[in-house]
Amino acid sequence: MNSIFKNILIGLAAVRTNLTRVILTSLGLTIGIFTVSIVTAGVSSIDKEFDKSMEYFGNDKIYVGTWPWSFDFDWWQYRNRPKIDEDSLEYITRYSTYVTDISIKKSTWTRGSFSNKSSFLQINGVYPSYAEMLSGTKIVNGRFFSQNEWDLQRRVIVVGGTVRDGFFDGENPIGKKIRLGGVTFEIIGELKKQGMGMVPGGTLDTLVIMPSSTFNRILTRWGFAELVLKTKPEDMSKAKEEVGMIMRLARKLKPGENDNFAVNSADAYQTQFDAIKIAIAGMGFLVTGISLVVSAIGIMNVMFVSVRERTREIGIRKAMGATNNNILVQFLSEAVAISIIGGSTGIILVKLITVALSSYLPVEFNLLLIFYTFMVCVFIGVSAGMIPARTAANLNPIDALRHE
Amino acid sequence: MPKSKKEIISMDSISKIYHLGNNVVKALDDVSISIYENDFISIMGPSGSGKSTLMNMIGCLDVPTKGVYKFNNELISEMNDSQLANIRNEKIGFVFQTFNLLPKLTSLKNVEVPLIYSSLGKTKRLQRSEEALSIVGLSDRMDHKPSELSGGQRQRVAIARALVNKPSIILADEPTGNLDSKSGIEILNFFDELHKAGNTLIIVTHEESIARRAKRRVELFDGKIVVDE
Repeated sequence: MNSIFKNILIGLAAVRTNLTRVILTSLGLTIGIFTVSIVTAGVSSIDKEFDKSMEYFGNDKIYVGTWPWSFDFDWWQYRNRPKIDEDSLEYITRYSTYVTDISIKKSTWTRGSFSNKSSFLQINGVYPSYAEMLSGTKIVNGRFFSQNEWDLQRRVIVVGGTVRDGFFDGENPIGKKIRLGGVTFEIIGELKKQGMGMVPGGTLDTLVIMPSSTFNRILTRWGFAELVLKTKPEDMSKAKEEVGMIMRLARKLKPGENDNFAVNSADAYQTQFDAIKIAIAGMGFLVTGISLVVSAIGIMNVMFVSVRERTREIGIRKAMGATNNNILVQFLSEAVAISIIGGSTGIILVKLITVALSSYLPVEFNLLLIFYTFMVCVFIGVSAGMIPARTAANLNPIDALRHE
Repeated sequence: MPKSKKEIISMDSISKIYHLGNNVVKALDDVSISIYENDFISIMGPSGSGKSTLMNMIGCLDVPTKGVYKFNNELISEMNDSQLANIRNEKIGFVFQTFNLLPKLTSLKNVEVPLIYSSLGKTKRLQRSEEALSIVGLSDRMDHKPSELSGGQRQRVAIARALVNKPSIILADEPTGNLDSKSGIEILNFFDELHKAGNTLIIVTHEESIARRAKRRVELFDGKIVVDE
């Protein structure tokens, strides 16, 4: 052990005397480690954003709509389907055993304005029961509308987290009045700010929620509706099946006819998202793999130069009693040192970047990442240094001593 | 030959044969020699006579094709590379014509090199290296690199390096070949002292004046020992 350590020190001394060359050589690995860390960080932060969006849809929610949730849907097949309406909702309320809560959710977009500010907002018209079905967010200020307000078609709204900053310069929006499509509404509640979402429509921050009765009366021009159903997460698949059958009943479909509605839930996005994630990670790791191989070749090349330059030194050391293994360890540790220098520089760069961009790139910078990098560097150093180091170790001392 | 002395090296019918293409070169042809403690031997001979090969053989840098080589009764001719390395480390001190110091290391560090490959601890290594440098009179040059030393001083550092592991024999290959005559004589006087102090010395040379200082003279010709007196 002691003897290995002494030979490592000899190898490290060689690194110090050729510092410029070592730094240039290790640059390839710096880039490799940098890209692999950024890709990993990128994928994990996409993952996190996605989870947040999934939270918005909820693992206990079923969405009955006209269109299935899919990125490759056939628009022509779905466009003539009948709209979702309150009739189906009554069927489900009456017959379903798994659904515990239900609301319609009508959606449209319209221009909202307050004094001289205006912005395009997503509008949802829902039942009072929807208060219990908010997922991924909650009322943090004020309240949801009541059954009474729904019955009276009151012009009251609950607003998303960005409305406060957008319209009221951070002031409390409760009690303020904004105009939506020419009609004045009073803000009675505010939702927790959620941040960017990954899934289409997956943010509640620019959302305005109002009674569906009010929605029907005032925002009749266009939009779409879906049913939001709540069930227990463990009953999800049974509930989806049951809802599908009830919907067929509500739509009075004959046994041979295809569904003219879609029963959706958040897990539909999950499989598609996984495919995208694998594609991104695959590309990243391919690029990284190539740069790691190139840098390994660079290190190998420099090690061959080093062995050649120091052939006489090898001869002297062997004459003085260095064994083949002593020489092997000396040159291997030189190669590993070069690759660790490259890797550490890469890690330091990643750290600097993540500090600088912490608001855009929420990277998990932890000891495990450092440990993995270290292991990768040792592996690359050993594999790139093995052939040159073996060449050095197997030199004949007599020839090596004669080398000029 | 005073038989009372301890035999260090015993070579019996040693041959070294190289194959260069279709030619068979007998660098050493059936050589037998014994070397005893406190011998002072000069090995002479024209180039191509096999004296370098014999020197490499004695120094355990090379192994014979045929024959039996015993060092302190250990069978060298049967050893593998790392056993040979250990013998070189513990029993043999080399002095080369071109000094062969490591240019980036100080005198002290150069002298320490053989000890690095022994099992000695760091303090002990430095202490032994300082001792060896003081024997050759270079205590005040410990932190100098070879480029900052004269030729004679460099060779003295090399001798200190050869002495530092307290070897059984010191092998010197043309030790004065790269030195001016004054430094050469200094080095040879120093070899005399080493011999008087009880060391075993083998000097390869082609200079008559150096061979005369030795107590025993071995001459090689065409791979055979022709003189041993």
